Amino acid sequence: MTTKKTTGKKKENAEKNINLKEENEKLKLELKEKNDKLLRAVAEFQNYQKRMEKELICQRQETKKKYLEELIDLHELLKKAYEDNNPKEGLKLLLNNINSFFEKEQIKPIKCIGEKFDHNIHHAITALEKNDCEDNTIIEEVKKGYLLNDKLLRPSHVIVAKKIEK
Amino acid sequence: MAKIIGIDLGTTNSEVAVMEAGKPTIIKSAEGQPYFPSVVAFTKDGEMLVGESAKRQAVTNTEGTIHRIKRKMGSGEKVKAHGKSYSPEQISAFILQKIKKDAEEFLGQKITEAVITVPAYFNDDQRQATKDAGKIAGLKVKRIINEPTAASLAYGLDKEGEHKIAVYDFGGGTFDITLMEVGDGVFEVLSTNGDTQLGGSDMDQALVDYLSNEFKKEHDVDLRKDAKSLQRLIEASEKAKMELSSTMQTEINLPYITVVNNDPKHLELKLTRAKFEEIISDIVDKTEKPCKQALKDAKLKPEDIDHVVLVGGTTRIPLVKKKVQEIFGKTPKRDVDPMECVAIGAAIQAGILSGEIDKDIVLLDVTPLTLSIETLGGVATQLIDRNTTVPTKKSKIFSTAADNQTSVEINVLQGERPMAADNRSLGRFHLDGILPAPRGIPQIEVTFDIDADGILNVNAKDLGTSKEQSIRITGSTKLSDQEISKMKKEAEEHEDEDKKRKEAVEIRNNGDALVHSTTKMLEELKDKISDDDKKSIEDALKELRKTLSGDDTDEIKEKIDALSKIMQKVSTQIYQQAAQQAAQQQQAAGDAQQKTDESWSGHPDDDDKTINADYKVKKDEDKKDKKK
Repeated sequence: MTTKKTTGKKKENAEKNINLKEENEKLKLELKEKNDKLLRAVAEFQNYQKRMEKELICQRQETKKKYLEELIDLHELLKKAYEDNNPKEGLKLLLNNINSFFEKEQIKPIKCIGEKFDHNIHHAITALEKNDCEDNTIIEEVKKGYLLNDKLLRPSHVIVAKKIEK
Repeated sequence: MAKIIGIDLGTTNSEVAVMEAGKPTIIKSAEGQPYFPSVVAFTKDGEMLVGESAKRQAVTNTEGTIHRIKRKMGSGEKVKAHGKSYSPEQISAFILQKIKKDAEEFLGQKITEAVITVPAYFNDDQRQATKDAGKIAGLKVKRIINEPTAASLAYGLDKEGEHKIAVYDFGGGTFDITLMEVGDGVFEVLSTNGDTQLGGSDMDQALVDYLSNEFKKEHDVDLRKDAKSLQRLIEASEKAKMELSSTMQTEINLPYITVVNNDPKHLELKLTRAKFEEIISDIVDKTEKPCKQALKDAKLKPEDIDHVVLVGGTTRIPLVKKKVQEIFGKTPKRDVDPMECVAIGAAIQAGILSGEIDKDIVLLDVTPLTLSIETLGGVATQLIDRNTTVPTKKSKIFSTAADNQTSVEINVLQGERPMAADNRSLGRFHLDGILPAPRGIPQIEVTFDIDADGILNVNAKDLGTSKEQSIRITGSTKLSDQEISKMKKEAEEHEDEDKKRKEAVEIRNNGDALVHSTTKMLEELKDKISDDDKKSIEDALKELRKTLSGDDTDEIKEKIDALSKIMQKVSTQIYQQAAQQAAQQQQAAGDAQQKTDESWSGHPDDDDKTINADYKVKKDEDKKDKKK
């Protein structure tokens, strides 16, 4: 009885071993495939990164071109105005052109003189003590600030009033 | 996998970076800057501001704005703002919170862990305070590392065996020198020294002083006294400083800088690099003493130092580089942005800790040179560009160059030259058994597959018969550096003539294809073409054939144009005739509605072009798809 049982068990074990071996081989193969897939995915991402970097440079160049062209036109006209003995009229039109370009690009100047200082759009370069105005109002504009599509392009550089504490 | 960010928590500005697919990326602030001003402010209304907005309002709110908190870290000293007191850890935590929030926004995922850098001279209390600041901000600080260590990591100096490094960190407001020893990826600080009151802003000030003194000599007005003029002067000085790092001379023009007795004045000045260097030389010289002292403390001589690493924007100035070279007798390393290299190093450390920098995955090989196959006329048509990360796979569909061609030869090439013969042939094979068909009709898909070990499998498959053939090429990525640079150099040297040769071949291919398609058309449409037209086509065809047997590219081009023109004229006539006939038929059928099918108005040349370029052959799958 006992011997029979053991042989049975041995047979079972042997079968199990073969199964396990097969399973093992299968898993090994699967792992190899998965590993290859992973590496390929990573490589593809790296290649994508490289391509994007190249594209970004191209796009930057394009944007630059667009604005440089405007600047070149401006330069040509300014040169003419410089040679003109009475350039006022020409300069006025030139300014109009620039303003309409700004409008087209949705660039808007930031209001500041007399406004209350707002750290979101104003940059205070100095504060002056004053009696005759409210604390934290802007009394002078040093450099004009602009919004682009209602987002900050560059803050206005301003001088702010500081009320003298009594 | 959760990302760990690397933070360079600085005295005036902080930077943050993260690893993305094995590459460090600098994270921009919500305001779009690659850095975060280390400034915190509390307004009178009780609002807290951090970074750019805090900086903008600083002068209006001196009692509520806190700068340079890093200098107080670990001191136990409290800072006051509008009567409330804060610990330096808290203030630093506000900065870290802002960084965390913006990084989360940038990456689109939650961030809970960070690596933060500190100066090498920070003691245990200061390090602990930095860690606590992270904790308050909701960041688990995985590691605190030294700034010079981070900078060295950014340069990959942990991988080069045992050596000594000098990290020269010259920022906006401070100067630090650190000497380190590295071995087995472990960094040990040998000595540090520096000057906490020395930096690029001193140079800006010196330049502003120089400019206003020059202006005063001429106009007797001190521009520094007028806030408006001073602001413009400061900006112009910074700009000039940057420009003089790459040019030898710059012009400083500030129109309408001030008004004297209702008379507008302009500042116009030429500044040479030599003059600029004279102005800043005292400041630069001041870095020498701390370096010498650090060497002495570490008991080292300049020649013991293997690498010098530059950190901080001020090291971009040529005179500073020269000084460093003079002190250590070595050309300093400078290919990583000196402003960003500490944050980048912190991100690399973070990547190692998160397991993202897994050498097997991240350090994938790239193809050193372009891989291509030879097509009609000996042109090398590329499949895989150089510098492509492997493993990778690319396919292109080619066709035959002649009618009834039943075999194609695939010649696998490596190199940057446009003509096949100038590149290295890695191997060649034939694909036979293509069914006899007009040129350009069979579709043969050629696939290049490079596995992670750099083994290249090239497979060619006839999509019509599913017959395929392949070749296995080992070592396509294993070229010596010399071989690679030699091949690249050759490609550069021959660029112009190669281009001409390739053009010549392309024109010839176009000519061949045109002869082919014209002959075919004459055959098919012989009833629809008038005898006169036929004769002029045949004459032009004959001329083109004659030039094709010669070598004059210009002449071939001329004859192609001549024939194309006639063909266009004739084909337009044929289409018009067909349209008229169709219209008559429609009318005859009582259908008064006129129809024109827009999709047929395509350029008649289009198809020709595809075939023209085809050989065993090429051109994008795109066009092929359209043809189907």
